[in-house]
Amino acid sequence: MIEVDNLSVSKSGQTICAVSSFSLAEGEVAVAVGQNGSGKSTFLRVLAGLERDYAGKCDVSVASRQRVFVHQTPYLFRGTVWSNVMYGLKAHGVANRDQHAENWLQRFGIGQLANRGVDQLSGGEKKRTALARAFAIGAKLILLDEPFSEIDDEGTAIITEVLKSANEATIVLTTPSDRYQRLESAKELRITAPAQSAVASGKN
Amino acid sequence: MNYIFDGLREAGRLILTLDADVMDAAARSLWVSSAAVILAMLLGIPLGVLLARVAFPGRRAVIVVSRAAMAVPTVFVGVVCYAMFNRSGPLGPLEILLTPWAIVIGEFLLALPIIISLTHNAVASLDARVGETAWTLGAGRLRRWLTYLSEARSGVALATLTAFARCVTELGVAMIVGGNLPDRTRTLATAAALENSKGEFARGLAMGILLLCISLGVTCVIARVGRERQTS
Repeated sequence: MIEVDNLSVSKSGQTICAVSSFSLAEGEVAVAVGQNGSGKSTFLRVLAGLERDYAGKCDVSVASRQRVFVHQTPYLFRGTVWSNVMYGLKAHGVANRDQHAENWLQRFGIGQLANRGVDQLSGGEKKRTALARAFAIGAKLILLDEPFSEIDDEGTAIITEVLKSANEATIVLTTPSDRYQRLESAKELRITAPAQSAVASGKN
Repeated sequence: MNYIFDGLREAGRLILTLDADVMDAAARSLWVSSAAVILAMLLGIPLGVLLARVAFPGRRAVIVVSRAAMAVPTVFVGVVCYAMFNRSGPLGPLEILLTPWAIVIGEFLLALPIIISLTHNAVASLDARVGETAWTLGAGRLRRWLTYLSEARSGVALATLTAFARCVTELGVAMIVGGNLPDRTRTLATAAALENSKGEFARGLAMGILLLCISLGVTCVIARVGRERQTS
């Protein structure tokens, strides 16, 4: 599903992301691990189709409408938790929207927040809302930029559980630390500063 | 000094007794300015979003021109409209000179650059994640544009109110292409100017006070919207 070879992204003449080799099959989960500034987010943006100015090979055999990307600090549209989750469902013309929205809010443990305005949410609740909104559309490729940041232990456990059970989607997420350890079957991609190379390694 | 206080007292009486001439001019001012602003919104808001979100050759120049046009003198717009609408002008056959519609078109030209520029500003200053989030959630172009407007609605409301304030208080266009005809094209601004020049200070003052009330009302709404925008 994803084939990356000698990928690099440069801004103002400086390389900000470099991945030498990475591949991922349908239904697999991969975790890109690296320190701040290593280019993890940029790599994810390339996979999402948000960053198109790059060198090297990056083949993603999924239509752009079937990919969804969640920012490290997600943007929630004005309105409520419910209206945010409905946004993507309406854009995709999904049938039984109410049922889908309800289901994903429950899975992320925020069903009781459905009618709450987004300006009344904590950082962790905002993050879970954005994740529910992304998962609800049923995308084939889900790209999550540091989904565990600003999340408490309970939230981390909930998100981890959702990631483990989302078998129908291919997921790539980034993390600066080892908080993904509970995703035992995840493939690991160590991303280091652009001057050095990055090589994918299996981690089972 | 007495004539000023007498004028103020008489102005108060004209307003409180809903004097027919004053109310007629006030009603015309409101509908003409509203029509001009609504027409300017229909064209200006999509253009503002286009300038903010779509790159095309000459975009920078269009932005600069629309900003510069915000300060164009109303008399200049009035003279240009007169040249277009008078009998020997290119739009003479429409026969709209000295009708309220001539004022609507003139004020539309005053409102348009304000709405384009301020809408552009509001949408261009949105967080980059707005467009990216909408796109990645599968929103097509129309839904994305509606999302930009929804997220920038305080700024767009500010643009609309600012344009309305400019139109309702302007004198140049209404005087030159409207002709200040009683019961036909007289607005509060032209009536105030006329009554004052006739020495009817109280009537002129009454018109001026009503105009001031409308401007103050709009300014208060602008200030409130501006505060909401800062806190959102």
